[in-house]
Amino acid sequence: MTSMTSMTSMTSRDSAQKPKLLESRRVLTLILLAAFIWSLLNLDWTSGFIHSGGIRAMGEFASALFSLDLSIDTLTTAISASWTTVAYAIAGLTLALLIGIPLGAIGSGVLTKSAWVKFSSTGVTRFALAFFRSIHELVWAWLFVAAIGLSPIAAVLALAIPYGGILGRIYAELLQDVPEAPLQSLRSTGASEWRVFWYGRLPMALPDMLSYTFYRLECGIRSAAIMSFVGLGGLGHEVRIALDDPAYPQVWTYLLFLIGLVVIVDVWSTMVRRRLSE
Amino acid sequence: MALLKNRDQETLYSSASCAVELTGVSKQYGQKEAVAPLSLSINPGERVAFLGPSGGGKTTLLRLLSGQLETSTGTIMLCHRDLATMPTGHEVSQLVGMIHQQFDLVPNLSALQNALAGQLGEWSLLKSLVSLVWPLNRGIGLSALARVGVEGIAYQRAGSLSGGEQQRVAIARLLVQDPQVILADEPVSSLDPARAGEVLQLLVGIAEEAGKTLIASMHSVELAREHFSRLIGLRNGVVIFDLPSHEVTEDMLHDLYDLYDLYDLQGLRAEA
Repeated sequence: MTSMTSMTSMTSRDSAQKPKLLESRRVLTLILLAAFIWSLLNLDWTSGFIHSGGIRAMGEFASALFSLDLSIDTLTTAISASWTTVAYAIAGLTLALLIGIPLGAIGSGVLTKSAWVKFSSTGVTRFALAFFRSIHELVWAWLFVAAIGLSPIAAVLALAIPYGGILGRIYAELLQDVPEAPLQSLRSTGASEWRVFWYGRLPMALPDMLSYTFYRLECGIRSAAIMSFVGLGGLGHEVRIALDDPAYPQVWTYLLFLIGLVVIVDVWSTMVRRRLSE
Repeated sequence: MALLKNRDQETLYSSASCAVELTGVSKQYGQKEAVAPLSLSINPGERVAFLGPSGGGKTTLLRLLSGQLETSTGTIMLCHRDLATMPTGHEVSQLVGMIHQQFDLVPNLSALQNALAGQLGEWSLLKSLVSLVWPLNRGIGLSALARVGVEGIAYQRAGSLSGGEQQRVAIARLLVQDPQVILADEPVSSLDPARAGEVLQLLVGIAEEAGKTLIASMHSVELAREHFSRLIGLRNGVVIFDLPSHEVTEDMLHDLYDLYDLYDLQGLRAEA
């Protein structure tokens, strides 16, 4: 969010000085718009958009919402599957923090004044972060399942690596976007860049970092559920088995548990953020 | 550390103070001359205010004195030591400390932690990390806050305090830092007139008590006249006058601000 606002303020300043930049930006917008329309025209809208039995299946699926499977069997499965999913998400995110915090701090380039060290260290870490996050967690999951088999470790690692990449990148930006004035005051008390980091940058960036981490935890729960589609257990795994049957009432029960988990994380993060801003 | 040990426990701060000597100091930003070559001599314990229109060079001069900016030409001697050859950081911070117009504090830390940050240059990394969670040396921080009259808000987040309280906490941090020269860049410009008078009185009072050299840039001519013994008028980076406060006349002030900006001028007349 912060990076967005600073970006817009920069654009308005730049555009005042460089009307040419504004013009070329408009041209780019037009090109992107044209590309979007062209892609719509190239979609095949006529055949096989929804297969013949599809509408009926969708109707059955929708009506199953009103006949939820609330048998003890399904509920115990749902609870234990939810637990597995949450455990994957939290373990994965914890490991992602271990990747994201140090790499984010180094990647922000705020710990050193030397231009050369800054250039090389941010370059290397930013490349690593980009590499981690450009491969989707599902692909990482396939890779790890192939390498170490169907083990929880595979699921946790598959989550941790791309999430670490995303967290590191966002942390780096948040740490850079902190207001400069208080930092300058800290420097004038003789504090080194490390102390300025701990006393100024980190406390000021922390609320945004925390709220983004919570958002990632929410994403992590969804991802962990998807992860289990590759056979790693959890809510997604149960949904897939129920879909194969097909037992739509069961599918809905599991989906509602997933929604419940996301809502719980959302409420929790709102509470923590409110406490932080008091 | 030596400085800390020598501190008077009653008054918090050492009563060391020192002279500031500028010789042919100038600052250029590309083609623009923010400060034309000037020489000034400020005695230990003197209280000096820079006056003049915005962009006249007041802030640039203060930033040069704090070592945040390097001079284009000339030398600045702080306590008989050349500022340019001094290693930045801890050593400079024992000689000179600065307070700004606003945004001086880390909003997410408590008032106490902000006050204690005055010692960051002296602390080990470990000690500063522990203090983030559990503030160490509370005593000195709390007595500094008490001295500036805000001990009651020691554990509140700095961001939740009023403008006046924030400036008081910033002064408390200066007390903890205990430099020999205090620089103040429009220290009360963001406050309402009543608050501005109080806070300036506090800052000047502390400088006077400890015999510290105080150099400020001031927006309000009235407050500057009331609280400072020597006024220096700066315009386009040039010293227009440099006189004891009581010798500065309305005409001189008029010339200093004249034709610069209609609003500035009206503000001045309203104040006078």
